[in-house]
Amino acid sequence: MAPENEFSPEFLKTAEERLDVKIKRVEVDTTKLTAMLASGTAPDLVRGLGAVETPYIVGRDLALPLDDYFAKSELLKEDDIDPVNDVWRYDGSVQGQGPRYGMAKDYSQDAMFWYNTALFDAAGVAHPSETEPVTYDQWLEMGKELTQKDGDTTTVYGLSAGGLGLFISLANMTASAGGSLLSEDLGTVDFSSPEGQKALQWFLDYARAKVGFSPVEPNPDGWDWPPYQTGRLAQSWSGYWFGGAIAAEAGLAETSRLAPAPTMGGERISPCFGATGYWIPKASKHQDEAWQVFEWFMGGDPAKERAAGGWGMPSLLSLRADLPVGTPAQEQALAAVEAESDYFKVLSFSPYVKVEALDAVLNQYLPDAINEDVSAGALADTLNTDMQALLDDGKELVL
Amino acid sequence: MTATLHASRETPPAVPARPRRRRGRAGQRTRTFYLFVGPWIAGFVLLTLFPLGYAFWMSLTNTDGLSPNWSYVGFDNYLRVFQDTQTIESLGRTGIFMLATVPTGVAAGLVMAVMLNRDFRGRTLFRALFYLPAVVPGVAAALTFKIIFDRNAGAANALVGAAGGEPISWLADPYTRFVLILMILWGVGGSMIISLAALQDVPRELLEAARVDGAGPVYSFFKITLPILSPIIFFQVVTGVIGSLQVFVPSLLLAPVNGPAAVTAVPEGNYLFMVHVYAEYFAKSHFGYASALLWVLFLFVLLITGVVFKIGSKAVFYGGVDPTEGKEG
Repeated sequence: MAPENEFSPEFLKTAEERLDVKIKRVEVDTTKLTAMLASGTAPDLVRGLGAVETPYIVGRDLALPLDDYFAKSELLKEDDIDPVNDVWRYDGSVQGQGPRYGMAKDYSQDAMFWYNTALFDAAGVAHPSETEPVTYDQWLEMGKELTQKDGDTTTVYGLSAGGLGLFISLANMTASAGGSLLSEDLGTVDFSSPEGQKALQWFLDYARAKVGFSPVEPNPDGWDWPPYQTGRLAQSWSGYWFGGAIAAEAGLAETSRLAPAPTMGGERISPCFGATGYWIPKASKHQDEAWQVFEWFMGGDPAKERAAGGWGMPSLLSLRADLPVGTPAQEQALAAVEAESDYFKVLSFSPYVKVEALDAVLNQYLPDAINEDVSAGALADTLNTDMQALLDDGKELVL
Repeated sequence: MTATLHASRETPPAVPARPRRRRGRAGQRTRTFYLFVGPWIAGFVLLTLFPLGYAFWMSLTNTDGLSPNWSYVGFDNYLRVFQDTQTIESLGRTGIFMLATVPTGVAAGLVMAVMLNRDFRGRTLFRALFYLPAVVPGVAAALTFKIIFDRNAGAANALVGAAGGEPISWLADPYTRFVLILMILWGVGGSMIISLAALQDVPRELLEAARVDGAGPVYSFFKITLPILSPIIFFQVVTGVIGSLQVFVPSLLLAPVNGPAAVTAVPEGNYLFMVHVYAEYFAKSHFGYASALLWVLFLFVLLITGVVFKIGSKAVFYGGVDPTEGKEG
């Protein structure tokens, strides 16, 4: 179960010839995956977001532990595997420990952000440091200064802080302030802590300032690239992967830079929210063949080709040498990421609920909270109640 | 075996040849009938009855579709339907959406059909143009609407600005519901083409006779055309009501997030009942509860359709044929 841009017909043909296996691709589709797993016709390889899905699939006994395969692999050596792949490990209580259940095809430290120096220069705003992180308050101020209006119409948004999703963005901010939205046992959510409220308050301030996209200022394009590409967005909360798109635009490649993840006052951290990769279902009827494809895709020629494309950091340390440095943006981004790797941290996600469920709750309450000047404390109480109910529902189902 | 042989030796009773042929023909007709309806019955059982039953079974559990650790919860999910404010509100919103789109859509389609039924130059071109939006894929229509109603660069706000107004965030609450309604009504050509086809069946001699008797066009329309069209209008109302209660893809397409995650970001105004069901299934993994919601919707659709039929039985003209004729009791 994979998208066509990762498992193209040409790729499948090559894989079949090289590995002597027959591969049939099905499009990534949660509905179909659920049906296939429920009906006992599980796909053999499934695409997923390691950072937020690993505890969920392991908690339901769906994923095959891959440690034995890794131990025998010639292509995927333990000392060559980037630490980011720890998001694909879960021991039943802590993410980042225990057996490996999958591997990232590539990754980014998603709390970093890209900015367009041309728009900074046009607004007379100093560029952020390429090595030292800005605080979230400084970042918002920069966003306000960079936002350009023509009457009541916004021509340039200063900052887009949607990230890869609302909950994980807020969880990252809270962690950056020194707290945690999820309890140690991952079974309780708490937005009411000082750190949680600080994160909520920042997001409310950001959305009320209308310097970027939010539930009350929707992005009609659905993601940051179109406005960034057309010079309508000065800063995008996107990791290294965004550079793959930037590299194709000569003008933007000259003026785009990648900055460290902002901080909210606590320990400096720079987590990965996605670590998109693949896992093998326990119910797969062709586990060995699935591993063959997995291993080649993650450590063979396809992995080298992906690294050279610059759409993400390779999940093998040895492939870093293949990353592109042909444009100033690529060269600077690689240096920034290498400096940032010291601050990588796994933020554990809960096995009891999908991140989409928590995003749905946030989207339900945020518009009114933003428009009606609801306090962060009151919003935190509402979110705690609804999200806790979801977590409690999930607890009954986890093995 | 003996009994069988014995029986076979008995002289068969004299059977008139004609009735045997009749039974043969009747049997053949029966076989042919079942041969033709068989595939439909198989499809109905496999694709309608079985899923309905399976959904009902799931509605009695707390399953998330994946975990083997589910348990029976009886009718708890059905009780929860009436305590869940999001469910009640989305159902109410869907009812308002139905009232806003069905009568308007049918009436607009009828008006357009009547206009395009007249003889004028370029009639065929206009018929094609008005029908064109109905064949545009929904995804393309949604993208077009998102561009038109973009706050900063959309044509809608250009008009608002020209009229001296401030830009409106059309794709956010509370305005996004109007964009959704407009998007649905944009496909009114479908209703128009049905009404246009029905207009061809209005007997010209009746209209001519009315005209000779001094009736004006408006009087003729309400006293002759409209009653003759009423079964077709009724059909459109029934299918429109059922369809509008099940709308959810346009809501997802207008959401500010692309892909399946869009269901988590649908603004409240467009959060219709089926969007809620989809979110409960695939965002919140409440397969049991979502299945209960589907059963509630099924019963709600039956109820609404029953009410529409009740009203329709008094308002629809069936060409002098009483639709209840032949029924006993």
